[in-house]
Amino acid sequence: MNRADKKTGKGALGFAAICLLGVGGVTLALAAPDIPHNFDADGEKIFKSYNATPLEYMAADSGGRNLMGFYELRQYPGSPPRIPHAVAPSFSLQADNCLSCHAKGGYDAELDSFVPVTPHPENELCTQCHVPKRTEKLFVETNWQSINPPKLGRSFLAGSPPPMPHSLQLRENCIACHTGPGAVTEIRVEHSSRGNCRQCHLPVISTEPLLEFVRNK
Amino acid sequence: MKINLGNNEVTMKLNRRSFIKCAAASSAIAAAAAIFPGVSFADWKKQEGASGMITWKKAPCRFCGTGCGVLVGVSGDRAVAVKGDPNCSVNKGLCCVKGYHSVQALYGKDRITKAKVRRNGEMVAVPIKEALDIIAAKMKETIDKHGKDSVAMYGSGQWTIPDGYVASKLFKGCIGTNNLEANARLCMASAVTGFMTSFGIDEPMGCYEDIDHANVFVTWGNNMAEMHPVLFSRMLANRKRRSNVEIIDFATRTTRTSQAADKSILFKPQTDLAVANAICYEIIQNKWVNWDFVNTHVSFHKGLSNIGYGTEDHFAFTDKEESINFEEYKKFLEDYTPEKVEKISGVSAKDIKYLASLYGDPAKKVTSFWCMGMNQHTRGTWIQNLVYNIHLLTGKISAPGNSPFSLTGQPSACGTVREVGTLTHALPHGVVMDEHARELAAKIWDVPVSNIDPKPTYHTVEMFRALDRGDIKFMWIQVTNPMVTMPNLNRYRNGALKDDRFIVVSDVYPTPTTDVADVILPAAMWIEQEGMFGNSERRTQHFAEIVPPPGEAMSDTWQLIEVARRLGYEKQFPWGKDEYIGKIWEEYRRFHEGPKHNMAPYTVLLERSGVQWPFVDGKETRWRFNPKYDPACTNGKDFDFYGKKDNTAWIWARPYEPAAESPDAEYNFWLNTGRVLEHWHTGSMTRRVPILHQAMPASYVELNPEDAADLGVVNGEKVKIISRRGSIVMPASINGRGVPPRGMVFVPFFDESYLINELTLDAFCPISKQPDYKKCAVRLEKVS
Repeated sequence: MNRADKKTGKGALGFAAICLLGVGGVTLALAAPDIPHNFDADGEKIFKSYNATPLEYMAADSGGRNLMGFYELRQYPGSPPRIPHAVAPSFSLQADNCLSCHAKGGYDAELDSFVPVTPHPENELCTQCHVPKRTEKLFVETNWQSINPPKLGRSFLAGSPPPMPHSLQLRENCIACHTGPGAVTEIRVEHSSRGNCRQCHLPVISTEPLLEFVRNK
Repeated sequence: MKINLGNNEVTMKLNRRSFIKCAAASSAIAAAAAIFPGVSFADWKKQEGASGMITWKKAPCRFCGTGCGVLVGVSGDRAVAVKGDPNCSVNKGLCCVKGYHSVQALYGKDRITKAKVRRNGEMVAVPIKEALDIIAAKMKETIDKHGKDSVAMYGSGQWTIPDGYVASKLFKGCIGTNNLEANARLCMASAVTGFMTSFGIDEPMGCYEDIDHANVFVTWGNNMAEMHPVLFSRMLANRKRRSNVEIIDFATRTTRTSQAADKSILFKPQTDLAVANAICYEIIQNKWVNWDFVNTHVSFHKGLSNIGYGTEDHFAFTDKEESINFEEYKKFLEDYTPEKVEKISGVSAKDIKYLASLYGDPAKKVTSFWCMGMNQHTRGTWIQNLVYNIHLLTGKISAPGNSPFSLTGQPSACGTVREVGTLTHALPHGVVMDEHARELAAKIWDVPVSNIDPKPTYHTVEMFRALDRGDIKFMWIQVTNPMVTMPNLNRYRNGALKDDRFIVVSDVYPTPTTDVADVILPAAMWIEQEGMFGNSERRTQHFAEIVPPPGEAMSDTWQLIEVARRLGYEKQFPWGKDEYIGKIWEEYRRFHEGPKHNMAPYTVLLERSGVQWPFVDGKETRWRFNPKYDPACTNGKDFDFYGKKDNTAWIWARPYEPAAESPDAEYNFWLNTGRVLEHWHTGSMTRRVPILHQAMPASYVELNPEDAADLGVVNGEKVKIISRRGSIVMPASINGRGVPPRGMVFVPFFDESYLINELTLDAFCPISKQPDYKKCAVRLEKVS
């Protein structure tokens, strides 16, 4: 959908390169040593990523991924996605392979697309959860069903910031999935220059009923 | 990652207006998918009439012995999603690909939902009540005609604890036969005899938290990256977080674990025995022995040698223990200098010394992990003893990070088979040979003590031999697939198919085992019933009935209760359907009273994501034999190895002896078998999970690239593998998931289309009676 807009191409490549150089170079002060690093749903990751990713990269959109393709790789909302591209059978030493692209993002010429960034690069054994598809056939047919994916844009008021519809477990880092040219178009944010996502967006998990407040007089 | 800086094809859209346009278009597609339900918007079928709300219920994962806590997302009466349970200390919210898709295993289209009975050679669907009547009548008739030892039960480490408990009560307490075995005999019997001979009490002293403390991990023939990925990830995370962590893979084949390890050391099959002794030799030579520990807590022993391999029917062996002193032990080790062992094992003396230095360094905490490589071994008990020796000489045991750790492969191999004792010689507490154990069981079970036979009958391999011979006429198989997993499979399948044999199989899907059945019972699976599993680190994990079982499917526990009542044992099986699991648990718990083994009450199990035993005064025990953590320690010293009567841990002088069948001029390759990440054991569940089957659709034979070149075979070409017991034609895998060394081939056993166990040898460890699936001799032919 964005193929016509070729003029911006060169600039974009610059962002990709900058991003790769930039990520990892910036470290924020860690919490005190006796405090677990992952408190507050690992929210530290958001600030770290925000700090480490160039603004130009976060603002870039390739239009290369959409929600339909996103859910085609999943078995239910929130399941670990399949690996959609070819991987050599012995391609499995995680840190030097999958993460060399998926930790940082950027452009992959071989696949001609921008790489989605993993929200949990600390998990290095990628193939523990993500596997490729080697055949279209099933062993036997399945009766599997699951629920619809969460609806988009469920703002409580017209124009108010929409809540986060999914659980934050393993998806704590907003920056990874919701900004940059590898992000899914429908869920990309346009205001990636703002780094404190949770200032406006609160988790209201769409699959979980709202707990009603009962006043205890 | 390739960055092509000169490619003008790449375009990006930064313009806000065109973004909105594009987003609107994408949303329109999404909206269309919602309006027209026939339009597939995702890779799954949408549940009709679903509210979109999910309730999350806790359960242990259905698959391996790690015992990850999962939260099952339920919508209506269906399981629709999974996430890792953040409250479960086992996995802290992370699963593997099998766990994340585990609930899909409930929904294969060919699920068995009705009972079936063989009539005139055809399987005919009947009401389940009728099938249960037939089973009870057949058992009665067989016992009347051929005696109580002509009926047998073969269960599983996937049995829930109540399943195994009622099986034991029915067979050992009521019918009075010790013909009760479980597939865990094929999986962890050597681990049990290892613990019993070295410590006098079963199950690991440590826990998974050891991973957060150790500096060195040695994986002994254990491809954890695929088989225990969640624990392996925890090791990797520790190595990343802490600067002083290294992983050594000590194995017979190069795997994903070797790729991730800091060092990969390969040894020739069976020679781990020699290398372990050489490590101890080096520890003594270099004065790395922790004498304070050894003088207080260790004694030295030897047993018989040339102990055989059990390949003949009626094979019997009893070890003869003899105490020795340290000097005698040291003299025994003189045959195992690194230089001598290099010749046997193919491991360089330098690498042996390196391994010894890691164990010997007093500043390093060392955890050894093992699973099937050491368990499925004709000297399985010995190799466990020898690895314990290393930890005992250096005093690196029973403390955070210092841990010899035996992993299990099934979700309740520990909980059901080891703790309930569903093996021929065992009772829920103690062994049948022990009068006091029989008295306790008779009292709790409310049966005459004379009912319980003091003589064990058949271990698994011998039980299937007895079925083949005709000594056993009736066998009931639950939650396992022996017609894929028995070694030397042709003999045991032919035996099961003989005319006057009667086979009952309780299962959830058609398998090669239901193919030999005379009656098939539809079983409730995993979260379709209430139950408990017990994982590798002494953790008992309760799960409720989260979704209803399909059709007439019934829990294995309830099937057994129904048959027991038909046999006249209403008094021993009095519970109602809405309370039976809790009642059974509280009855079973009486067997384990006391600080060494106390189990948590039912109400505690309901609340928590698993509870470790011994559970004493409301507290779990993380490290046994260590008074800082274990209230059963009473000797006032820094450790108390209370399992043995002499309050010591035993170091054993165990020699290297060769495998039962090694490559020779005619059969010139080793055959090694095992598992893969995507599939769990025989694949009867995981192959029905779309993503898992599509990622790993069929089995293969791994060859070393040079052997493949010699044979003239390229990747994917067919190879015929021939052993003295059978042959099979399979596609070759070269430089794929794993790479065997020259002279070895490896075949995963998950695929029922390639029954590799028709080739394997039914040799076993004479002490544990566990078969060796890792070593037999084959030759290869190119298929043109």
